[in-house]
Amino acid sequence: MNRSPDVVVVGGGVIGCAVAYYAAKRGLRVTLVDRPQRGRATSASAGGLWPLGESVGLGCGVIFYKAMAGLGSLPDGVHGPGQLPKVFLDFAVRSNAMFPDLAEALRETGGLDVEFERTSLLFLMYDEGDVAFAKPLWEHCPCGRDLTEWLTPEELARAEPAVTREVRGALRFHGDDQVNPYRLAEAFRTSARSLGATVVTHTEVTGLRVESGRVTAVETATGAIPCGLVVNAAGAWAPEIGRMAGVEIPVRPVRGQILGTEALPDVLSACLSTTDCYLAQKQHGEVIIGSTTEEVGYETGVTPAAMKALAAGAVRAVPFLKDVRVKRVWSGLRPGTPDELPILGPVEGLDGYLNACGHFRTGILNAPLTGLLVSEMIAGATPSFPAELFLLSRFSGAIRRADNR
Amino acid sequence: MTPSTPLVVIGSGPAGLGATIEAARAGLPCTLIDEATHLGGQIYRTPSAGLRVTDTAALGKDFAKGERLRAGFAAAGGRVEVLSGTSALGVWDGREILWASENASGLIRAERLVIAAGAYDRPVPFPGWTLPGVMTAGGVQAFVKGNLVRPGRRALVAGTGPLLAGVANRLRGAGAEVAAVLEAGPPWWPPEPLPAVWHGWEFMADALDHWQALTAAGVPFISNHTVFSAHGTEQVERASYGPVRPDDWTPIHGEARTAGVDLVVVGFGFVPNTELTTLAGCRHRYAPELGGWIPERVPFFETTVPGVFAAGDGAGIVGAAAAEAEGRVVGVTVAEAAGAIAASEADRRREAPLARLRFLSEAWRELDARYRVRGGLTDLATPDTLVCRCEEVTRGEVGAAVGGGARDLQAVKLLTRLGMGPCQGRNCAPFAATHLCQVTGRSPADVGRINPRPPVKPVTLGVLARAEGIGDTSATDPLDAVGGGAS
Repeated sequence: MNRSPDVVVVGGGVIGCAVAYYAAKRGLRVTLVDRPQRGRATSASAGGLWPLGESVGLGCGVIFYKAMAGLGSLPDGVHGPGQLPKVFLDFAVRSNAMFPDLAEALRETGGLDVEFERTSLLFLMYDEGDVAFAKPLWEHCPCGRDLTEWLTPEELARAEPAVTREVRGALRFHGDDQVNPYRLAEAFRTSARSLGATVVTHTEVTGLRVESGRVTAVETATGAIPCGLVVNAAGAWAPEIGRMAGVEIPVRPVRGQILGTEALPDVLSACLSTTDCYLAQKQHGEVIIGSTTEEVGYETGVTPAAMKALAAGAVRAVPFLKDVRVKRVWSGLRPGTPDELPILGPVEGLDGYLNACGHFRTGILNAPLTGLLVSEMIAGATPSFPAELFLLSRFSGAIRRADNR
Repeated sequence: MTPSTPLVVIGSGPAGLGATIEAARAGLPCTLIDEATHLGGQIYRTPSAGLRVTDTAALGKDFAKGERLRAGFAAAGGRVEVLSGTSALGVWDGREILWASENASGLIRAERLVIAAGAYDRPVPFPGWTLPGVMTAGGVQAFVKGNLVRPGRRALVAGTGPLLAGVANRLRGAGAEVAAVLEAGPPWWPPEPLPAVWHGWEFMADALDHWQALTAAGVPFISNHTVFSAHGTEQVERASYGPVRPDDWTPIHGEARTAGVDLVVVGFGFVPNTELTTLAGCRHRYAPELGGWIPERVPFFETTVPGVFAAGDGAGIVGAAAAEAEGRVVGVTVAEAAGAIAASEADRRREAPLARLRFLSEAWRELDARYRVRGGLTDLATPDTLVCRCEEVTRGEVGAAVGGGARDLQAVKLLTRLGMGPCQGRNCAPFAATHLCQVTGRSPADVGRINPRPPVKPVTLGVLARAEGIGDTSATDPLDAVGGGAS
């Protein structure tokens, strides 16, 4: 008889599924509650695993920076896309390092291939400004010089023949990879299930029952689920769930539009990041081109302006794409936090509650370590990674204490 | 700047042309967008440019009707800008249309918008339906009308409704032998009296002509039968067919027979093309008697989005004659709303098409009652049969997803990739939705739809990158100002 507490994970995106998987793997009794939701960030991810690139502001960061600068709306004193603190890089590198073994384990347990690929990430330098931005990253990369490589235009042409020749060169980050984001979430879910987890889909969470400062049940549209602990993995909707227990979570939806092409033969071996867009060719053959960074609330549409800008950016980086058809354009809502770091772990004054939210642009990348860490917190085990810097309490004054009864 | 125009009409079939003719006649400038290089839509398709036709009578009645409509368009005045060979990729806020042709794209703003997007053949998956040599009734019509050649030597025609008679007879006219016509429903001209409203209905008169020609040529007609599967290595070499239960059209596999044919034509009616009305934000409802999901409309065919009208088969399957009448009503109404004609004049101009619509909708209702597709046809597909052709998802995989807890189309899509391909679910959603309803007992409204995403028609990145009417956000490269600030 399993005496572990029942855990209810709220949210069926990649984070919720990862938590459910690692918790089930520890032998915990897990129920995942999920509702169909347009705009889920997992469904609008390119699946880039770029711990180095993301931490120095590549990927979406540099595109957003360019857009803001173009609108003249950069805050004073901001020059160049923001770099994230060392703790982010450490977390992301650790999480990324879990993928090879994880992919194997998920294949064995759930029978699904998550299409993990070692690709590296190339930052294309179109002009002197790009070179000036990239040079210090190369010389003083917090990841160390051995993981970066400076490519001349000739070397780039040999490595990636499809890429434009109109470049000053490229900076390569070894150790940045990719995965299929939907399959990753699905593999976590399927594996969690075969390890005994219960998955309740199409079910809205309507409330959290709090008794004497402890969450005791998750109320849903189809009835209450008593539990010892709830994990808030509701992504962009995490504040809604937090509020049910009196917890204010500073997560806001940040829309990203993304474009997918028809399936192509292998044309790119690396993922590409430019000041206009990023590109990743998936195993299925389609090239995913992202992404905007927009604060438009829970609006999940796409815009002609973004479609045009992403298309132009893609054609500039890989000219032959001009004759390639767009299959579709869609969008997702990233769970953005003020300091761009996830919110993990317990909340003061409220027992039986853990956060696993606020993963912003890197939920796919950081899903494995998040899942592992949160499962350790659930079980009361020693955490694999120090979680203090990710606690909600770092946002002083942002928390409204749960009602102690 | 995004250019603005008083009226944009999407689609130049009978509904779109009807709307354009009436709006132009009232003096309203408009822009007409159509994918084809000719006006008239699928039904009034013309032979491809380069084919010289000496005997136009041989092209049939549809061609003659199309020519009459095109003449009406030509006479309506010159205030129409025609963008032919142009697709609408999406609609924003009910007003902005992103269009693309082979070499250009752009955004235009419409004060009023008429969506007359037409319909497509209802896909019914059966083993072998993806083999070359299996064609839809609409596909055969387009092929023969456009190319004037026969698509096969010996054909089996299966489906439902007297429209099949026209397809079968056209095949004969193109030189193909028709092995048999299989009607899943009841006989077309049974001994019992026909509904009175059908007398004087041109559609049925035409169908009867075709039927008589087929009968005279000795083409076998078998009711309550349909095609079960198509076989062949590279293309269709033979097909299996047999009886279906008269109540729900479930195939009776034990009584299957085989015919040696190189062409299988399937026509199970049509599905309204609602991608653009959906993207425009119009509210939709499920109306099985009109082909499935359709935009809700108030009198004179305005949708729930003010200023956006929907006419013709794209707003519910009604046939070409009713589509044209709906289009005319919409054209007059738009002109009235724009102040181009007075209300009394608009009422007068709407009278004839509205009267025609009252007659046609009653006639159509009687037809639908007999020949609307029944749920048993989902039993044609075996576990190995591809349901989603784009992403190669089988019926078995859909069944597994539903068995695994998927309760709606969106969930099936995420689990199987069904509907994620270029056709955006056109070929798979009708089957998958029916299957979901049958297995879960839920309603079509509950199992939902596959959300269309722009672009709803193919466009290349290069053409999209040059879109006109969309401002560039930033011309300068801000990283030039970085100057080594990052470290």
